[in-house]
This record gives sequence, C-alpha cells and structure tokens, in this order.
Amino acid sequence: MAINTERLGLILQNFVSATSDVQGAALVTPDGLPLVANLPGAMDEERVSAMSAAMLSLGERIGKELARGTIDRLYVEGDEGFSILTSCGQDAVFLVLAGKTAKQGVLMLEIKRAVSDLRSTLFNVGQPRPESSIGMMSRARSARA
Amino acid sequence: MRLMRLVVTGTAGAGKSTFVRTVSDIEAIDTDRTATDETAQIKQKTTVAFDFGRLSFGPRLEIHIYGTPGQSRFNFMWDILIQRANAYVLLVAAHRIDELVKARQIIAFMNERVQIPMVIGLTHRDCPGARSPEEIAMRLGYTDLSNLPTIVTVNPNEKNSVLETLNVMLMSYLMSQLAPDLNTVPARQNFGQEEYRPRVQIVR
Repeated sequence: MAINTERLGLILQNFVSATSDVQGAALVTPDGLPLVANLPGAMDEERVSAMSAAMLSLGERIGKELARGTIDRLYVEGDEGFSILTSCGQDAVFLVLAGKTAKQGVLMLEIKRAVSDLRSTLFNVGQPRPESSIGMMSRARSARA
Repeated sequence: MRLMRLVVTGTAGAGKSTFVRTVSDIEAIDTDRTATDETAQIKQKTTVAFDFGRLSFGPRLEIHIYGTPGQSRFNFMWDILIQRANAYVLLVAAHRIDELVKARQIIAFMNERVQIPMVIGLTHRDCPGARSPEEIAMRLGYTDLSNLPTIVTVNPNEKNSVLETLNVMLMSYLMSQLAPDLNTVPARQNFGQEEYRPRVQIVR
C-alpha cells in the first residue's frame, strides 16, 4: 500500500502548530531524503534531511561501539534551542526543532505521541488510530482558537 | 608516530567505502543505510555520514582515512572532513561517464575550501564501457596537461592496489611540501603534535 503522505503531512502540521515552542519538524528516510517536512522558511528540506540522517547514523554508531545500546533519541542543545532526533521505525527518522523555552517533559511526550501516529500511518499498522490523531487535531484547533 | 589524515571522496558507487574497508587495520567504521534514491540502482546501501579506517604505514606514520558520502546532499560532511585533511583521493568509476559531472562538482567544492594535494583514482576499469584515463581527465575539465593531477587505476577490493594509491597520495603530499609553489599549498602544516617535515622514509 502506498504511503499516505497527505496524512503524514497533517500529523506533522498538527504537531508543529499544537506543541508550544516547536518551530519545525521533518520526517526523513534513514539515507537522508525528505518524506514530509514542516520547517522554518529559511531551512532547506534536502539539507536538513541529510543532516538528520548523518546525525542519527553517528548516534547509533556511538550506541553500538561505546556499548550504549539502542539509541532512543539524540539531543542537540544550543543556546537558541534544541534539535531532537528520534528513530521512527526502520524506515524513517523524525527531527524536531524546538525553541530554548520549550518544556522538555511536554516536548518528549508530544514527540512520543507524534512518533506513534507517524509510525502507524507509515507502516499501515492496521487502521491508523483515529482517537489519538483526532485528539491532536482538536487540541490543535483549540490551541489556534 | 605521525598522524596523517586522508579523505576518500567521489560519487556514489565509486568504491569509497570499499577502499576504506580494504585497507584499514582496524574494523572500519561505516555509517551505511539502505539507499532509497537513484543510488539504489547501483547498490543496496549507502554512506550517510562517513567511513573511518586506520592503518600504520611503516613504523612512524599512522594514517587515518575518512570516506565521504557520495551524494551532494551530504556536502556538509564533505566540508567537515576535507577541512582537516592533508590530501584526498577522488574515486571515479571509469564506466559511468554520466557521473563525471558530479565528480567535477566535488572537485570544485573541495577546491573552493582547501588547497591540498589531490589524486584521481579510477575504479571499475575492468567493467564494460570503461573509458580511458585521458578521456576521463578531459571530461573532468583537465584540458591543460600542465596542471593535471596524478591519475591512478585502483581496485578498491585489492589491498595492494589501495596501498599503491595511498603511496601515490603520500608522494603528492611530500612533493607539495618540498615545492609548495609548484603545485599546491598544504592547508595545515602540523600533524598532531609536532610539525611534519618530509623526512619520513616511507616503508611499506
């Protein structure tokens, strides 16, 4: 079955607009090609995707070579904000860009939720769970209202 | 012990990762991921960050070899890796002449950033459709024979062949140190701790 990119785009859009302090997000292939992206204007999708893939591959190498096990996420903290990379199944990497004021606990929970939505859409795991994504959408709407 | 950093670059499928893996004394570090772009037609996996290998070249020289990704979307990695390199080899698959435009872009990218010795390594010369070194040099934009870089044929699967190429790279490096104005100027003079002078006898 074909990948439902429209739906992926919607999940991403909702994630970016509904989660406070998130400035952008992208779902990319492990070899660094964009699947869907919702990024700040100046950022080039191709480049961001390639960087995400390179970073995650190095992180996973570190996990392996330095005996840290399977890597859940990679975290790059700068004085302007965070970049967080999460593996999203075998075929995708999820990148989130957040401002420095972001509440990390909330961010992590929202990322976890988005990843599970993205995964189920990406891999057509049964029917995508409507409750959670509708929940996200209605929260998105209330956040915008 | 002196340390020298060499970079292996070139288009996807030229043999960069194999080159590093073949010659490394340690188990080479790779960052291969399943290819989903046009590279998938050539091979299953592709490098997304870098390959790393290490070898001792004689008793007094240690070489670190970094292989770059081939696709231009990873050019930030090209930049990171070339900045600290002492010399680099551009691998070119002699039978894929359509890729030469991309190889040419890599040369331009590197030339913009560093002036270090460069060697062209022709791979896949035994494949059907392989072109002559002269034709490839011309297609890479080297019409003037006076500034032609050294061109070697290399089989990335054969250790001796790869060592031969490293030897040529070392020689180009030493030449550039002896007569910097003749060809190229090294980007950085120091190797690790102390300054490197071309008085190391290369023992293979």
